[in-house]
Amino acid sequence: MTRVLDHGVAPLLLIPSVILLLVILVGPFFYMVWTGFTDLHYALPGRDGAFVGFDNFRRLMQDDPIFWHSFLLTLKFVFWVVLVEFIFGFALAMLLFHYIKQHRFILTMLLVPMMLAPIAVGLIWKLLLSGDFGMFTYYMRMIGIFDQQTSVLGNASLVMPAIMMIDVWQWTPFVTLVMLAGLLSLPKEPFEAAVMDGARPVQVFKDVTLPLMRPIIALVLLLRGIDAFKEFDKVFILTGGGPGISTEMLSIYTFRINFKDWDLSYGAVCAFMVYLVVLIMCSVFYKAVYWNQGRSKPTQAVTS
Amino acid sequence: MAAVATLVVVLVLFLTPYIWIILTSIKSRLDALADVPVWTFTPTFDHYPKIFIDKDYLPLVWNSLIVAIFSTVLSLIFGVPAAYVFARFEFPGKEDLFFFFLTTRMAPPISIVVPMFMLFSVLGLTDKPIAVILAHTTFNVSLVVWMMRGFFADIPREIDEAAMMDGHTRGGTFLRVLLPMAAPGLAATAVLCFILSWNEFLYAFILVAFEGRTLTVGIPGLITPHGTLWGQVAAVAVVATLPILFFTFLVQKHLVRGLTFGAVKG
Repeated sequence: MTRVLDHGVAPLLLIPSVILLLVILVGPFFYMVWTGFTDLHYALPGRDGAFVGFDNFRRLMQDDPIFWHSFLLTLKFVFWVVLVEFIFGFALAMLLFHYIKQHRFILTMLLVPMMLAPIAVGLIWKLLLSGDFGMFTYYMRMIGIFDQQTSVLGNASLVMPAIMMIDVWQWTPFVTLVMLAGLLSLPKEPFEAAVMDGARPVQVFKDVTLPLMRPIIALVLLLRGIDAFKEFDKVFILTGGGPGISTEMLSIYTFRINFKDWDLSYGAVCAFMVYLVVLIMCSVFYKAVYWNQGRSKPTQAVTS
Repeated sequence: MAAVATLVVVLVLFLTPYIWIILTSIKSRLDALADVPVWTFTPTFDHYPKIFIDKDYLPLVWNSLIVAIFSTVLSLIFGVPAAYVFARFEFPGKEDLFFFFLTTRMAPPISIVVPMFMLFSVLGLTDKPIAVILAHTTFNVSLVVWMMRGFFADIPREIDEAAMMDGHTRGGTFLRVLLPMAAPGLAATAVLCFILSWNEFLYAFILVAFEGRTLTVGIPGLITPHGTLWGQVAAVAVVATLPILFFTFLVQKHLVRGLTFGAVKG
């Protein structure tokens, strides 16, 4: 058999996986987009899926302040958790990189929060933050950060920072892990040259470390951003979106429209918006991280 | 010294919440609900049999296992050949297709689960593990494609050529030479798929409500406005997480690569 023939046939191996995704993912997705143009509603009589054009989109744009509240809340959440996780995670990676020769054990321990099921993370913190017997609440009161009456999860102004803190607790180790892998993969020469030239540690960090780490920093920020934007599990079990709508982030709101109000047509439009944002972030991720580094060899971005 | 001290503090902060849930699962009800946190106590192991045997949570563990195992196997069957093609062949539209796989991996579950729920309702598949297995396969198959492409690309092309000189067909080279060489990567990928499926909540929550519930789906129902039995809740949380941590340590070496879609090799 000649190789030309092989090359012609081999890509057929892709077909099963593509068909699988088309049938159970892409197909339903386009059905959902279609639903967005109808009046389908599982709980109201007479709303059985007649075509209504752009009505649902108009409602989203002009008539739904709660959606935009959720949207803004989600953006704020993404901004703060990614920023704080990045700063803490990077600092921790630098610490491990410079001062600790044997980091394997520490890294192993750090993996614990991020590998727990997110729903279990929410559960753990629900217990810790309980107003009556929460361990975390108790010590926070002892050092005077929480007052005696406050139950954090029931307080509209404290609950979002608390959820952000939990996310930081869960995902800072991820940033540390990836950044440390990146630091370990950097070439030694630029650092030696900088030190020879008499650069101070701060200058080395600013002029050598940061530029060399730029692809990995982009990768970490985007991956965490996409993931944080989709946040659902922890909020669902901790507050369910409350008190009021103070923690109703996009996924929670979309869930409520679809599976509590059963307004599947308008819910489809909300779901589509969530998808659209993630798709945009996803293509930025792809371009930033893979495209420039040789189209056919994505894994050579970083080697250690 | 300052660095070591900082690290100790950091580790305590990251580990204490999890240790606390383990402690809660073996505390008596009084100790668990005490005003002042109780750190030393006489352990009790009553909560585990109570929740898993008396309250019948054991089938949920079984469902979680079935879903995780079958979605992992399906993802590998569909994903590994695709990854091989991406690693070894050039064809038009290749990188666009690769990007398509990435979008399916990153797609927000809340956007996909709505139409998937409709589809499976029509097919009569809701509340059956097969629904969750298929849902989890959609994101895991892409993970397999992305991770395994990297592992195959790591194997020099000269190996393929040598194997074919020895009389292997291209298919034989893939099955009998490349696959065994990529076995450690394959194992790591499989374990990561298993973990992601086991930990997943939203798809499972929407698609199975009663008989087919997985362990993660069983967790929110344990919380009631008054009188939550925290000992039993904690026992479920421990069973849902401790085996996963063990698996994590097994694949630690490849974890970074898996979680960054192959962009960073740990």
